[in-house]
Amino acid sequence: MDSLFLPGVARILDVRDETPDTKTFRVVLRDRAAHDGFEFQPGQFVELSVFGCGEAPFCIASSPTRPEYLELTVRRAGQLTDALHRLGAGDEIGLRGPCGNGFDVAAAAGKDLVFVGGGIGLPPLRGLIWNVLDQRERFDRVTVLYGARTPNDLVYKDELKRWAERSDVEVLVTVDRGEPGWDGIVGMVPVLFDRTELHPRTSLAFVCGPPVMITFVIQDLLMRGFADHAIISTLERMMQCGVGKCNHCAIGHRYVCRDGPVFSYSQIKELVE
Amino acid sequence: MEPVTAQVLAKDRVGEWIERLMAEAEVIAPVLAHGGDEVFAPIRSPGEVLWEFTNPVHPPKRFLLPQTDPVVAIRRGDNGYELEAIVDERRRVLLNVRSCDVAGLAFLQHVHAADLPDRSYLERAAATTIVCLSCPDPCPLGFCICSGAGPFAREGYDLQLSDIGDLLLAEIGSERGGELLAATDGFFRPATLAEMAQRQQLEEKAKQLLSEQTCHFASAMRRVSTGRVAEDLWRKMSDWCLECGACNFVCPTCFCFSVKDRHNGDGWLRCRTWDSCQYPAFTLEASGHNPREERRDRIKRRFFHKVSAQYYQRDGMVGCVGCGRCVEVCLGTTDMPAVVAAIRKGEWHG
Repeated sequence: MDSLFLPGVARILDVRDETPDTKTFRVVLRDRAAHDGFEFQPGQFVELSVFGCGEAPFCIASSPTRPEYLELTVRRAGQLTDALHRLGAGDEIGLRGPCGNGFDVAAAAGKDLVFVGGGIGLPPLRGLIWNVLDQRERFDRVTVLYGARTPNDLVYKDELKRWAERSDVEVLVTVDRGEPGWDGIVGMVPVLFDRTELHPRTSLAFVCGPPVMITFVIQDLLMRGFADHAIISTLERMMQCGVGKCNHCAIGHRYVCRDGPVFSYSQIKELVE
Repeated sequence: MEPVTAQVLAKDRVGEWIERLMAEAEVIAPVLAHGGDEVFAPIRSPGEVLWEFTNPVHPPKRFLLPQTDPVVAIRRGDNGYELEAIVDERRRVLLNVRSCDVAGLAFLQHVHAADLPDRSYLERAAATTIVCLSCPDPCPLGFCICSGAGPFAREGYDLQLSDIGDLLLAEIGSERGGELLAATDGFFRPATLAEMAQRQQLEEKAKQLLSEQTCHFASAMRRVSTGRVAEDLWRKMSDWCLECGACNFVCPTCFCFSVKDRHNGDGWLRCRTWDSCQYPAFTLEASGHNPREERRDRIKRRFFHKVSAQYYQRDGMVGCVGCGRCVEVCLGTTDMPAVVAAIRKGEWHG
């Protein structure tokens, strides 16, 4: 029986600036065998340690189809993320996991997939998107709808371009507030629904973003004919242990860290706070 | 031949028996502490052990789940960080634990073994022997009978002692309990039928003394589990909660924790530390979002975890052993029996 609390040591290979307050960290577990044995599903998360600071949960933003490294996209929002942002290539962190349930990729086979991301909500979807694109033939239409507050807050700008250039992916990006130099769409994420063709009966919608955005997007999707079980989201809660023991992330008798973080809307409706 | 399930020990030999236990393990028992408090503490001699006492305000859970519990040692070595899981396998005997606390430890065992087993708790628990002392004179604030946790323990103990005059009757509750008696050859002899009957009478009498205590969990459970408690009732009750967390810290079944790194020499110890669901920061996210910002949402959460059918199914018992400690320590009036009564009646009078 291994300790639930013992992290593996991971080395940072590379740090990329996404926005003024968000960075993507590319890491590998220091122990080669542990890295090779680290199997995960898109949508799962890790407990990331900055030694001396503690640990916090972050979704794995890379795809299991690209196992050479893990990527984590982190916004600077508190003590631990601030300390993490001060680390660079060669520095060591701790990783514990993978935790949580992840997206059911097999159940998405043959369907139209609509990814709806808001702000820092794109990273959990990004792992799934690359997973889908790396086995593109298994799925029907793929649509990525993404919005952020300002053009500056958009993450993965290069990848959004690369996806948009592909003929087998539709990508639409919007910002809440335009800026000089932005000639794209302006408006909240749901404005994108009118600019694409949705196929509610054959689609699964994956929705990830801040709580307010999730609420509006889900209501909109329901109005447009999506079934409860066809809307899949990830929930966030304050977490400590990530293994279903500490009780911080409980919603009713469910635990976001064990029963989630991925829930369908039909499951979300059943959660009693 | 029937297996012998109970033995007796002459009280004047108890000291020798405890000395034997002390030779093998750290013995923790209720003792008289500084200022006259009765507390669970490691003993230095058998004479310190209290046999008639008010159940200490802190249950013995802190010996299995310490307030600050190091789980990982973190050091910076020549070739990067070195991490090591900390395992505490020290042998302990918890002596003279009341039935409510035995039930509390059984509850903690269940939650730490369920789903992903938590080694740091389970290994400590595996090295701990639980010797219960049954309650012939129930305490004034206790309502253990309402949650099936007393006044005599039914399970969860290695040995259960009952005071039957000049003798202590010891019931064996586990293989380890049996070994404990076998190893102390000569101290114990099998109990007679008359001695067994004496113990039975003590239990019946104690149950009668408790019969006026009421905490109707089943009725509260129906309402809490189906969300049929008015939000306004939670709000009124929460006005009487001072968010001190005392109910959590003295509760034998509360186990919520946070994880923190503490400086230790050149490195750190990653520790789990008790936390309280009644603190606003318990659910505060880094973004500033807090799903349980209101005090009424937090008190609602506490009692959902304690008495809902959803958790009853998950944990096999209500999250209350009826020890009455929250009644004693609550600075307001939002203790278990008061809240359960309010939920049942749909009204709150402070």
